Amino acid sequence: MPEQRVGTQEDWQAERDALLKEEKELTRRGDELTKKRQELPWVQVEKEYEFETVDGTKSLAELFDGRSQLLIYHFMFGPPYDAGCVACSSITDTLAPNVPHLAAKDAKLMLVSRAPLERLQAYRERMGWDIDWASAGGTDFNLDIGFTSTEEQLKPFLEGEIPPVVEQMAKASGTDPKGYVTEVPGLSAYTRKDGTVYRTYVTSARGLEPAMAYYFLLDRTAKGRDEKPGEPHWLRRHDEY
Amino acid sequence: MPEHKTATLEEFEAAREELLAEEKEHTRRTDELAEKRRALPWVPLEKQYELETVDGTRSLADLFDVRSQLLVYHFMFGPSYEAGCPTCSSMADGMNGVLPHLHARDLTLLLVSRAPIEKLQAFKERMGWSIPWASSADSDFNFDFGASFEVEQTREQMPPEDQLPPIAAHNAKATGTDLPEYISEMFGATTFALQDGTVYRTYTTTGRGVEFLMPYYPILDRAPKGRDEGDAFQTWIRRHDDYA
Repeated sequence: MPEQRVGTQEDWQAERDALLKEEKELTRRGDELTKKRQELPWVQVEKEYEFETVDGTKSLAELFDGRSQLLIYHFMFGPPYDAGCVACSSITDTLAPNVPHLAAKDAKLMLVSRAPLERLQAYRERMGWDIDWASAGGTDFNLDIGFTSTEEQLKPFLEGEIPPVVEQMAKASGTDPKGYVTEVPGLSAYTRKDGTVYRTYVTSARGLEPAMAYYFLLDRTAKGRDEKPGEPHWLRRHDEY
Repeated sequence: MPEHKTATLEEFEAAREELLAEEKEHTRRTDELAEKRRALPWVPLEKQYELETVDGTRSLADLFDVRSQLLVYHFMFGPSYEAGCPTCSSMADGMNGVLPHLHARDLTLLLVSRAPIEKLQAFKERMGWSIPWASSADSDFNFDFGASFEVEQTREQMPPEDQLPPIAAHNAKATGTDLPEYISEMFGATTFALQDGTVYRTYTTTGRGVEFLMPYYPILDRAPKGRDEGDAFQTWIRRHDDYA
């Protein structure tokens, strides 16, 4: 535990009230950004994609499951992976319990990966998640949106020094760094109007932190996230701690 | 869906790139505030709190389990409630999923409510959660941390029902109690640290400050319709087994 200044309840309250003003300002700024996201133009998805699901082959429009909004988490689980990416698995620990609440707000949330459907299903069962998962292995869906990298895109990265955390994560998924980073984590949002599907939003990297609930709990603790550069990543699959 | 402007992929990407710069700024500001929270002074607790658990009476220090940090979520489940608050329940759904990750970072999570432990335990089983839950029925804990108020006082001082947000009457009904009893409980999160046998309070939040425990909101914030709830906020939320 870090050394810490100790104060009276009154000291704490005064400083906490000052911080609350800044927290409220940040909350309002978050609302503004949401408004700006909603103002982004929609882009028609012109290509026809086919996904493998437990209920057979489906088009992107069919994945909406009767709702008018679709949120896809691009879960890193490529064809050479033995098991899903550790970080994506921790994200799914947040996503899965929120599926029924999002469904009540006209939003279907699901996972898409490139590994074959059978492997995704087996892993989903191991992890005990109640969230739909489709395989985009037979389509260019992930590639077109930039969540699968081409050899050419990966070349400079693979020719450089591979960060130890990438080695660690690749190993945990039973693949090598190249196989691992061919997949990219991301979130994409869609809507449907008059039979046409539009993409409305895309994010990746730290833009995915809203789906990592544990970070925001840790942000309210004394030690915080407590991640030091160069250290192996602390995340494990929930059944591997 | 309402009418909306459409664009080519290039136009979308240009607009998205511009927004990304603002989103990154927001993320960095989030980091700054986390740092400021950690800089708050710690307050040593003067009282010894004893809470009821399924394993018997435990002190707050005991409830850290084997870890040095504790986050208490003040779950609205008062003595007269028949079931837990639906909004708090939706939050527990998300917390329950990430428990192992929090434990790996030296943080214990605990729900605390004023209803008797048997009632809490039965509801926890119904919802299928594994988060520990303690009852503060015989303790000042909830009152001292602003998570409960005396019902008589609430009855005297509460504003007329039409001045409260619609969620208050809605959730009073959903928990099988009346409005004053419902709002005599308060939601919130308090974090504690344990060092050399002393328990310190490090942080408390309530109001929209608990949205960090509602991941469906930031996810909806990335969907085309957003939260889409207006003044009737949260009235769409049900316990996960109560959705039709």
